[in-house]
Amino acid sequence: MVLLPVFFLFNSALRETNSFASNPFSLARDPHWENFQQVWSDGAFATYLKNSLIVTGGSLVVIITFALGAGFVLGRYNFKGNAVIFGFILTGMLIPAKLAILPLFIQLKWMNLLDSHIGLILVYASGALPAAVFIMSGFFRSLPSDLDNAARIDGASEFQLLTRVLVPLVRPGMAIVAIYSAIPIWNDFFLPLVFLQSPENKTIMQGLTVFFGQYASQWGVLFAGLTMAALPLIILYLILSEQFIKGLTAGAVKG
Amino acid sequence: MFRQQLHLGTHHKRARAKKSNIGRRVKPAPNVFTFLKGDLQVAVSGLKREQRKFIFILLTPAIATILIFTSVPALTTLSYAFFKWEGFQREGLAGFANFQRLFEYPYKDQFFMALRHNTLVFIAIMILQTSLGLLIAYALFRLKRGQRFFRTVTFLPVIFSLVVVGYMWQVMLDPYYGPVNMIINNLGFESLAKPWLGSMSTALPTLVFINLWRWVGFPAIIFLAGLNAINQEYLEAARIDGATEGQLFRKIMFPLLAPSMTIITILTFIGAYEWFDLPFVLGGSNGNPAGATDTLALMFYRLSFGSVDSNANDVGVGSALGVIIFVIVGLGAAIGQHFLRKREVEQ
Amino acid sequence: MKIASRRLRGLVAAAVAVSAIAVPAITALPASANTELTFWSWRTEDKAFYDSQIEKFEAKNPGIKVKFTPYLNTEYNAIVSTALTAGKGPDIIQMRPYGGMANLSDAGNFMPLTTKDVPALAKLQPGILAGAQGYKDKKQYGYPYAVSAMGIFYNPEILQTAGVKALPTNWDQLMNAFKKVKAKGFLPLGNAGGNGPALEQLHATVGPTFYGGTQFFNDVVAGKKTFTDKAYVASLKAVKDLAAYMPAGFEGIDYNTARGLFANEKAAFYIGGNYELGYFRSLNPSLQAGWIPSVAKTTGAAKYVSTWADGAYAINANTANKAASIKFLNFLASKDFGQALVDEIAFIPTAPFVKITDPVVKAINKGRSSLGTPFLNVVGFRFENPTSSVILQPGFQKLITGAITPEQLAKDVQTAVASWYAPQKGKS
Repeated sequence: MVLLPVFFLFNSALRETNSFASNPFSLARDPHWENFQQVWSDGAFATYLKNSLIVTGGSLVVIITFALGAGFVLGRYNFKGNAVIFGFILTGMLIPAKLAILPLFIQLKWMNLLDSHIGLILVYASGALPAAVFIMSGFFRSLPSDLDNAARIDGASEFQLLTRVLVPLVRPGMAIVAIYSAIPIWNDFFLPLVFLQSPENKTIMQGLTVFFGQYASQWGVLFAGLTMAALPLIILYLILSEQFIKGLTAGAVKG
Repeated sequence: MFRQQLHLGTHHKRARAKKSNIGRRVKPAPNVFTFLKGDLQVAVSGLKREQRKFIFILLTPAIATILIFTSVPALTTLSYAFFKWEGFQREGLAGFANFQRLFEYPYKDQFFMALRHNTLVFIAIMILQTSLGLLIAYALFRLKRGQRFFRTVTFLPVIFSLVVVGYMWQVMLDPYYGPVNMIINNLGFESLAKPWLGSMSTALPTLVFINLWRWVGFPAIIFLAGLNAINQEYLEAARIDGATEGQLFRKIMFPLLAPSMTIITILTFIGAYEWFDLPFVLGGSNGNPAGATDTLALMFYRLSFGSVDSNANDVGVGSALGVIIFVIVGLGAAIGQHFLRKREVEQ
Repeated sequence: MKIASRRLRGLVAAAVAVSAIAVPAITALPASANTELTFWSWRTEDKAFYDSQIEKFEAKNPGIKVKFTPYLNTEYNAIVSTALTAGKGPDIIQMRPYGGMANLSDAGNFMPLTTKDVPALAKLQPGILAGAQGYKDKKQYGYPYAVSAMGIFYNPEILQTAGVKALPTNWDQLMNAFKKVKAKGFLPLGNAGGNGPALEQLHATVGPTFYGGTQFFNDVVAGKKTFTDKAYVASLKAVKDLAAYMPAGFEGIDYNTARGLFANEKAAFYIGGNYELGYFRSLNPSLQAGWIPSVAKTTGAAKYVSTWADGAYAINANTANKAASIKFLNFLASKDFGQALVDEIAFIPTAPFVKITDPVVKAINKGRSSLGTPFLNVVGFRFENPTSSVILQPGFQKLITGAITPEQLAKDVQTAVASWYAPQKGKS
């Protein structure tokens, strides 16, 4: 049930456009690899791919860095207001970027960050940080406190404690945060639609919609485009499927 | 410098170090609920200035980012509802006028229709997606071999972009050339071969179906993890006592899945009332066909950015709608959390 | 202090890393002395055409480069609005006709054009110029480049096979032609109901003969008649009657598939605008389509061809390249470009003295000039919300499935228009 449509997608990408009219299901006898070729050249795919990589990669850098810091503090220090701050961060999860799109637009314009990847990265990071902090703090918390003591006794500063001792231990958490955040960012088309105006800056999903208008009836090429857009994440997923699944269940399961 | 820092707590820590962790139960991976009950492992009392500065530096980037790019814009949106707007230019205060206009012609009908759609979608997804997810999770749980493979496969659609999913299904459901109808015809059920996305009566259910296809892996995986986390001893003990699988499920597994159920319910609620991506890709911002797939979020988009032919937007009313959506989602999440937490059983 | 500086260094490193990736992406400007103009449109179908025309322009104007970017039709307005508001709009903008971008022109986003800058404007008729003027002020904001006209395309081969001897001239003959075609196993009509705007265009084609053409248009604009008039209701009903001849499952068949049915010679007729011709031919170069103006409701009644200035080229008021933009706009208004418009994508240009050799386009042009009547919704009622289109587009979808009656739809249109259009206020 799941695989059939996916298979259809790949199969269709390889077929010649006109053959669809007769039988949508027939196997690609003669793989038309040039469909992919056309997507690559006409669809300015290289640019879009690069942009998506920049935006997603940049966002991940920001998210992980910030979440490491905040997660560490919130997970291992008890101080007044800890719970409040934590609660604040979590309510951030309730707010979708879409509802705040207009003020965000005006805000970014005022900051001169419109039509720039940095602006988009910051918005994405802000949306992903609540969950990321939550996950990281959980990981930090689960590390035995003796590590802290041992390090401190050995004369380590707080900073060294964090970087030398703890960060390596929470690497699985970082991987989970990376994957959990990367999926919606890579797949998003709405924020780029509003925030990126120049064609050189557009991301893959955004480019897909334009591409669709142009090639609306050439199904072979269309499917090739869809396949290429989905491929990076699929490959990543197949390699790291364990972490993906763990990532989403972190925090959702008691016990 | 370090020695001074440590001096105060040295005794403390040495004493604790002795107690060590042999046989000590590592606390369970926390979730929202345990945390908010104040269940902290490390309690460092009397923070030093150095530490405070350190904490500050580490905490600020995250908080600042969230504040600037999420909280402030969200609050600003809510405030927009109280102003008059000319296109994208803000004029004077308008009190509650925008809210009033939302409930007059022509927005009133759109609003209630969209609200109805969102509610129907929530109920449908809650029932169908969650049960299906539970079923799949249970099946996977019982499966001895190949669990990893099927798990991977089940979850695959979740990572697809909605743009990809939307277009893919749009082609497959094409009433003339699409494979779905061709199969239906070949199987002899010609009368069932409808224009799924184009007919007003089937458009919304079709979207729910596509949503199901794409998202069912998510509850499935979460439930599966929940099932896997159940202490096997309980199950064994129950089996020895002669319980059937069905009783096992009803009496032990299902109740213990309550926390997962809570999360899924709340996320589904939020998702259902903020549903945008799929209807937008497949039905456009007007809820094609003829508003049958219109949702509150789509209406918000139309009001903020205008539609194809007339471009006229109404930010004031749009923001008022935004306030309402936010209230619905916030209330729902809060109420849900409150009631559902009560159901949870301590293991 | 050590802590702070270390941490700071870490942050700086991260920032550098991010900017090392991001900055090149943002500041990748061509380091040439060329002026680069950006040109946006919703006509993804015409990209190849514009690209080739731009090459010609660039050859004659070294130092100016133009980049043409079409967007998906449904997203174009939102994209342009946000871009202009952000101050990042393109230099040349393809404008929607009449009220389609009224709020943008009112907000001062477009540069007012004078005959000094664009002499070609002086040669256009007032009715056409109105297609690109402001709503609140009547300044000229764009150069309307084409007129569109509605009619009925037909496939002569299918008609011959079906035994349709003469082309229909009235409604009954049209229905008979449909029946004959259907009996032979072909689709009578390619049109379908999956796309609201396409249905609106269908109505614009067959409707005027029922509602009374230009006279009715003038009456409604002046407030003398309303949309609940019996004649208008009859025009709505005509659309419903056509549904019986649409392909099976028409509710869900989208615009592209419907056009494809005609282009791929499965359907005998397609009712719509002249701009479809170019698209049909690009899908199927061997298609021999013909065109007739929409039939009269009965023999002796008037025939009409709905027409309007469809789309214009405008210049961004905040463009940094004013001189170059004006140069390019004049190119777009030139006779050569107009000639290319008709030769290559079968549009009817507004530029005068263009030679039309294609027999089909000739027929369309003749129909337009002798039987023309304004496209009611587009020309008259797109200025404020809710436009008549916004009611009719989904309304037609409901009409053809029987979910709503023609009378009810007429009433809805009247309520919508009366809510903002002064001469109709208070009327129902």
